[in-house]
Amino acid sequence: MRIHLAVPAALVLLAGPALAHHGWGSYDAAHPVTVNGPILSSKFENPHVIVTVQGSDKVWTVTLAPASRMESRGALAAVVAVGKDVSAYGYPSTVQKNEMRAERITVDGKTYEMR
Amino acid sequence: MEHDAPAIFVALEQSGFAAAIRQSRWLYPFANVGHILALVAFAGAIAVMDLRLLGAFAATAPGRVLGWARSAAIAAFCGLAATGSTLFAAEAGHLVLNPVLRLKAALVAAGLVNVLVYELAWRKSVVALPPGARMPRAARIGAALSLAIWVAVAACGRSIAYF
Repeated sequence: MRIHLAVPAALVLLAGPALAHHGWGSYDAAHPVTVNGPILSSKFENPHVIVTVQGSDKVWTVTLAPASRMESRGALAAVVAVGKDVSAYGYPSTVQKNEMRAERITVDGKTYEMR
Repeated sequence: MEHDAPAIFVALEQSGFAAAIRQSRWLYPFANVGHILALVAFAGAIAVMDLRLLGAFAATAPGRVLGWARSAAIAAFCGLAATGSTLFAAEAGHLVLNPVLRLKAALVAAGLVNVLVYELAWRKSVVALPPGARMPRAARIGAALSLAIWVAVAACGRSIAYF
């Protein structure tokens, strides 16, 4: 049965680079960023609502809260809709380029906590 | 970065089925909670089987304890597979590149190979043993391996979201 230990060991070696976009672990909390701009696309889905925002320098993918939490905080689909101006404060991903996880967002003068 | 993933997993994530899971308010949380509940049931059933094979509850008849626990483990595993597939499908293109998910998949495969060895080589003889009888050495090694593998699978599962 010792042979079977070689199976996971071999597959671990085949494993590619890290890539995931949830949890707070892969975000750099030491270097928070604020992205201001219009929402270009919005996916009000589980496990996380995701919007893309035209920042001053580049387009950011901004990961928000799960859909049900967004709704309970009042950040409805209509709030994070395409064309809305948003200010998102959060942490850049250490894994995925131009992606951030928002701690809070402000739309139409109202701030919504994502955590 | 989905383009780094094998096409079949990207296609799965982009399918109507996966979109329905993501867009439903309750389906993803339901699968998430269900996966944990199935894990609890599976861990309990597996622990009973493995501990019995290791020599615990020695006064009991192995056949009766192992038979009940085995049925519970199979049912719980079906629940794990169903809820796990749901969670996986929603983000297949991303998750397939996650190193912890890959490790978990490999460990599940190893765990199932270990189950197969038990089923084919040991089950018939150990369930026929009387209460108090010493289990074959290989069956005890398999049981210890099983406990280690499934605990590692659970730890990987919880860690996927952090890598």
